[in-house]
Amino acid sequence: MVGCEALVIGGSAGSLEVLLKVLPILDNSLTFPIIIVIHRKHGSDSLLPDLLSSRTKLKVKEVDEKEPINGGTIYVAPSDYHLLIEQDRTFSLDYSEKVNYSRPAIDVTFQTAAEVYKTKLACLLLSGSNADGVLGLKSVKTWGGLALIQDPDSAQVSYMPAQAKLHVNIDEILSIESIGEFINSLK
Amino acid sequence: MKKVFVFDDNADILELCTIILEDAGYEIKTSSTSNNIIDQVLAYIPDIIFMDNWLPDVGGIEATRALKKHETLKAIPVIYFSANNDVKSLANEAGADGYLSKPFDIQELEDIIAKHIN
Repeated sequence: MVGCEALVIGGSAGSLEVLLKVLPILDNSLTFPIIIVIHRKHGSDSLLPDLLSSRTKLKVKEVDEKEPINGGTIYVAPSDYHLLIEQDRTFSLDYSEKVNYSRPAIDVTFQTAAEVYKTKLACLLLSGSNADGVLGLKSVKTWGGLALIQDPDSAQVSYMPAQAKLHVNIDEILSIESIGEFINSLK
Repeated sequence: MKKVFVFDDNADILELCTIILEDAGYEIKTSSTSNNIIDQVLAYIPDIIFMDNWLPDVGGIEATRALKKHETLKAIPVIYFSANNDVKSLANEAGADGYLSKPFDIQELEDIIAKHIN
């Protein structure tokens, strides 16, 4: 993809270990934002962005309400809120009903990002145990973006990427080892 | 290698603490229940214990009290952690040696361990 304007990564069970392997490989000069939505329970706030920050030179921060989305920054969705991307390229946090038994729901962020970034968006779905993210990836394809999944065979919990592979026309299926370099190539 | 035992029913906290503390050079064991607390701790004999307030079975307060009554285990520092605004009072009530308010960051976690066991 040329001119990537945003990468959104969604994951659930088994996705943290993937992120910890991928982050050290990322170029410090990435110009697009990376937005991470992983299912987690309330109470682990601060620890997750702190831990991710220890693996990369890129700036890592938990999303604040109405915050503008800047390139070269890794944003982490806070627990217990849906994370929406607005047309003016700011974040908004939403405390409405859970979607797919999840809040944050990956579908919500993928779908809202797809409508904003259209063909300049890449979304990557990692390991996880429910089908959250599958409908979101469909939206990404509808709007012309790139739909990516972790290879289900390499996932600690394969259900989530396997469901995506079954229901969505995926652009790239990536092994854990190839995810970092692939992201670096999205310039 | 110093040993840390973390009790919490939040699997995310246990996963994050495990990665962070192993990175920092500690050995770590985790549990999501206060059931048979004495047996659990006797089987590991950690250098420090982190105890969540809302722990299934007897709960953090009773579990800490049981540890502090035990002849062998009472010397092990127990750090009470909770998202409750009253974490300090809860820690006192339980007889814990220290407390940590949730959410906490990596530095706070490492600092309180260093303070109590080094």
